[in-house]
This record gives sequence, C-alpha cells and structure tokens, in this order.
Amino acid sequence: MRQTELHITNRLGLHARAAARLVRLANQFQSQIWLARTEVGHQPADAKSIFGVLLLAASQGTLVRITVEGPDEEQALLSISRLIEEKFGED
Amino acid sequence: MRNPRKKHDELRVEGIGVCQGVSIGRAFLVDDPQGRIVRLFLPHEQIESEIRRFRAVVQVAQRQVEEAIDRMRTALGADRAYILEAHLLLLQDRGIGKQIEDFIRENNANAEWAIKDVTSHLLELYARITDDYLRERGSDVVDVSQRLIKILSGTKNYDLNEMADGAIIIADDLLPSVAADLDPHRVIGFVTNAGGWASHTSIMARSLNLPAVVGARNITSMVRSGETLIIDGTTGTVVLHPSPETLLFYTELRERQQQQYIHDIRDRELPAVTRDGIEIKLRANIELVEEIDIFQRFNAAGVGLYRSEFLYTQATDGLPTEQQQFEAYRFLAEMSGRDGAVVRTFDLGGDKLHLEGYEIERNPALGLRAIRLSLAAPAIFRTQIRAILRAAAHDDGWPRLKILLPFVTNLDEVRQAREIITRVERELIEEGIPHAAKVPVGVMIEVPAAVLIAESLAREADFFSLGTNDLTQGMLAVDRGNENVSSLYDPLHPAVLRAIRWVSDAAIKTGIPLNVCGEMASNPAQVILLLGMGMTDLSMTPSSIPMIRRLVRAIDLAKAQQVAEEALRLTTPREVHAFLTKKMPEMGEQFLATGQG
Repeated sequence: MRQTELHITNRLGLHARAAARLVRLANQFQSQIWLARTEVGHQPADAKSIFGVLLLAASQGTLVRITVEGPDEEQALLSISRLIEEKFGED
Repeated sequence: MRNPRKKHDELRVEGIGVCQGVSIGRAFLVDDPQGRIVRLFLPHEQIESEIRRFRAVVQVAQRQVEEAIDRMRTALGADRAYILEAHLLLLQDRGIGKQIEDFIRENNANAEWAIKDVTSHLLELYARITDDYLRERGSDVVDVSQRLIKILSGTKNYDLNEMADGAIIIADDLLPSVAADLDPHRVIGFVTNAGGWASHTSIMARSLNLPAVVGARNITSMVRSGETLIIDGTTGTVVLHPSPETLLFYTELRERQQQQYIHDIRDRELPAVTRDGIEIKLRANIELVEEIDIFQRFNAAGVGLYRSEFLYTQATDGLPTEQQQFEAYRFLAEMSGRDGAVVRTFDLGGDKLHLEGYEIERNPALGLRAIRLSLAAPAIFRTQIRAILRAAAHDDGWPRLKILLPFVTNLDEVRQAREIITRVERELIEEGIPHAAKVPVGVMIEVPAAVLIAESLAREADFFSLGTNDLTQGMLAVDRGNENVSSLYDPLHPAVLRAIRWVSDAAIKTGIPLNVCGEMASNPAQVILLLGMGMTDLSMTPSSIPMIRRLVRAIDLAKAQQVAEEALRLTTPREVHAFLTKKMPEMGEQFLATGQG
C-alpha cells in the first residue's frame, strides 16, 4: 500500500471535468485507489467512481490523501499525483 | 402493516373543485409530478427481469451520451464535451448502479422508483456541499436520472397504463406532460395536494372533462392505491371510505348530472347569440388532437387554441419530426371544419426542452421559452412552420390553420418570426410542395409588456389571442401554483381588467380580431365582463361551452357593457367580486359564482 497527500491547486477544484479525468485515469489501473479529505470524519472515496470523487467536493486548496493498493500501485500513485500537480491540465 | 380488512370510517377532505361532476372510482397514486414514476410492488419472479430492464436502459443511455459526445466533439471541439463525459462516468459508476439494483431487490420496486429514490438520496448528499460550484454539479445527477427515466418510460410502460379502468389519479401535482400518458378512457378523475383553479391539473381535467379536486392537502398520504373514493368536482369534496348511504347519494347525483349533460348535447345546435342579437364565437382550447372528439360534442366554432407543445411532451424521443407534426396538424385542420384551428407554436422552455450549449435555468418561466426558444433554435421553428403551412392547405384556397406566437414581449420577435415564415414559404414554393398561402400570424398577449405595446403589435399581427392566465400571473407577479400566494391570483383584479380593456381597445382601433383563450372565458361572471369590454370571440375548455352558450343566450350585450363600465371603475379585487355577486342575479340567469374557486 502506498499513500501520499497533495493539495488541489487548480482554480475550480475537483469539478466535473477534473473529476472525469481523474476517474478515467484511475480506471486504467488494476490497483484499488482511494481519495480522502484529510480532515477528521471524512470517508475515503473510490477514485474509480465519478460520484464518490465529486462528492469529495474538493475545492481549490483542499488537502487530499491518495491511497493505492495493488499490483500497479507505484505507477498509479505516480500518474494520479502528476495529474493533480499539473492542475488537470487547466488554469 | 395495516390490516386490509379493517373497516375505515368515512372521511371527507375539502379542496377546490376545478372541473364539475361526480366520479366514483379507485384511487391510483402517482408519485412524481411528471407522472412517469409510479411506485409498484413487483412479484418476486419479476425482480430479476426488472434488474435486466434497468441494465438495458443504462446501456441505451450510455450509447446516447456517447453519440452526443461525438457530435459535440465534431461541432465544438474536444474541450466542450466534458460535462457529458461526467454523465457517461456517472452511468458507468458501478457503485450507483449497484445501489439501484439492491433497492429494486430489497423493496420489490420498479426501476423508475429505485432510480428516483437512490438519486434523491445522492442529491441530499450534494446539497450539503458548501462550495457553490461543486454543489451545482448535483444537476448532473438530475440530468442523468431524468435521462434514464425518460428512456424507461419509452420502453415498457410501467406507468399510468398499469392502472385498472375507472381510476382516480391521486398526486401531489401534475405537469402538463402527464396528459400524454393518460388514457382518457380509463381515468375518471383527479385529486391533487397542490394547485388552484388555473393550475395545470385543473386545465387538463377540464380539457378532458373529468371531475377534479385540487388543493386537497395531504391527500397523497391519506389514500392508498386501489381504495374506493368519491370526488365531487362541483363542491371540491373528496370522500374516502364512503359508507353505503354516501355511495347511494353520489350515485344518484351522478345520474342527475348525466341527464343535464344529455340536455346540453341536445342544445348544442342553438346559436350563441345574445338577446340583442350579437353573435359570440365559442371556440375550443385543446391540447391533444384526441380531444377533437370532445369539442365536436359541444359544437365549438373551431379550435381557438391548440397547444402544440404537447406533441413534444408526448413524443418518446425528442422533438416530433416534420412528418409527425404535419399529420397531427392535418388531422386538426380536417376536424376543425370551416372555422379552422389556431396552432400556437411550441411553448417549450428550459423545464422541458434544454438546448445544448445553454445554462440550466433556475427560473424557466422567465427563461428561454416559447418564441424566444423558437428564435434561438430556428431549425426547430422552421420545421414546425413547414408542417403548419403544409397542413393548412385546403382546396378552396382558404387556409384552415393560423399561426400563434406565444410569449411575445417585443415587436422584433414578431418581425423575426415573420421573416422566417416568409422564407419557409419560399422554400416550399421552390421545392414544389403543396402548402397554404397567406396563413394568418397572430400574437399571444400574455405578458404585461405586450399589453403596453399592444397597438404597435396589432399593426403587424393578423390577430391577437389574449392568454388571461399568464397575463394575470404576470400582472400580479403571482405564481398560481404556489399555495402560499395563489389566493392573490385573481383575474378580477382591477389591474388585470384594465389591461384587458387596453388590449381590447387596441384591437378594435386597428381592426384586428381578438380572441380570449384563458380560463376567464369559461367563467360566467368573467365572461360578462369580457363581452362588456367588447370581446366577442372566446375560446375555452370544450366542456364549458354548453354553460357559456346558455349564458350568452340569456344576456343583453348592452347590459354587459354597463356592468363592465362600472366594474372598471372599482379599485380593489374585493369590490369587483362584491359588485359582480350583486349584479349576477340581475343578468337573468343563475350564474352566481364570480370566479375564485
């Protein structure tokens, strides 16, 4: 299992387009991937479910924890981190 | 669980009677305003096939969205399709799909109900999101669930067709589109929690001539599907668990009313002429071409208002084609006879038809609707005009149909619409397709702005049609469907009466015909005012025609003019009501009600 924490930095946050990109990317990996807000009391969301990701309601500045577990976890964590760091290709 | 054999005491609920008559039948509960979602309890052996039905619909929806994405990519570039991509991901979301399937299994529910329940739960979660932009994305969930339900209703109809004969529909409120799903031979009445005299349910009930009671608070929680109940649309009474004596009383009452109805039919050939010899045109408002049968029964002078958008709400896949529209209009033209029919072009708005590329509207009533939508999407408008012009043609050279433009607020809208109509006519000539020439183009006066510029509009319109319901709402800034303020909705408000007078004067001055097509035209006291203000052409729900015919034949127009003159000088709605209540007995007949239900 691998984990990392990242800030959502693009202006609109994890809105429909960004979430769609993230979910499509997550679905390319065999590993299970979760996304969670770091504040106490938040349930992790399945990164392969658009609904879960949208419900995170991660606006700009939110710190999210990414947890990956599975055969391709290293590559998955890297790709998803890069997508978030690159602001989903926006801004 | 309630014991089904337990004997209930008779219970009476009072609401507003909006279409006269008594119905005795079995309750059929409808759970959503569109009337598409009914809650069924499926037998065990049907559960797996229901789940397969749900999955199949998800497949269809995915295909639809994929095709839309392709179209959008081609038209607008890859960047613009992302919202639809989010929709696609929602449809592919195994978590949501599983929740819905579990719901079907655990509750023996039909797919429509399961989708509604699960998505409304999801929306509650969305509503808690604090970020405005992200919260708004709840509309994606609504969109997707509506798409699914729309496809479901087009596949196998687990909807109103499930009900037995002699059903009384019980609902919170009904949207106009529900009419599309109703089988008039099986439904015998309506009761709703919400609504008033002019709500959509009321209009629909009257157009189908079915007894109805609206504003019967909590009725949906008091009645269960299958129970026997009585509704009296004349008094606004609903009787649950009726005793044998009550049943007998209402059975006899229904019998007497049917006798009266036969009487009306007998008198239908009598001319609608006042005692001082003025002929009044009594026309029919209709929504479905199927209603033609009802309007002929009352000998209407043609159709004064055909609400064409019902063609859209009836269609299972999008807008009706030119050919589908042509066939409907052709039928309308043929059945309306020499008096012809007025086709109001689509009064569709964001609540029914959402144009790709436009924002979802918070307030569709004041949004991109009716003529605005027609001009924003000229392809839709052109198709409709082509169908009307083709269907209007008649061997004797007189067009049988007229075109009516709804929701006009600006003279430019009339000019633009006329330009398009002229272009369509030219195309038809070039293509050698038979069509009617010189089809009259009228303007609907239903917005205060149109009242104030009535004279300018009259110089470029061939006729006016006065929509008193929307005009009253607009003049008084009252939503007639909102129970908190519906008592303020009053066509007898002095502002409304003066607006009508203003329009009438403009029409008389410029010499164009003026037809009144709102609910006022079927209310005796209000009809006296309309006649007194110079209007001689009324269009109403067909079932009101016999009563208005009796009224017209009983009064002197000169007397009605006096009454109108005096009423127009009054300053509050209450004074107008009191005045008319005093005057009505003098008008020679037993037409006492002044209007408000």
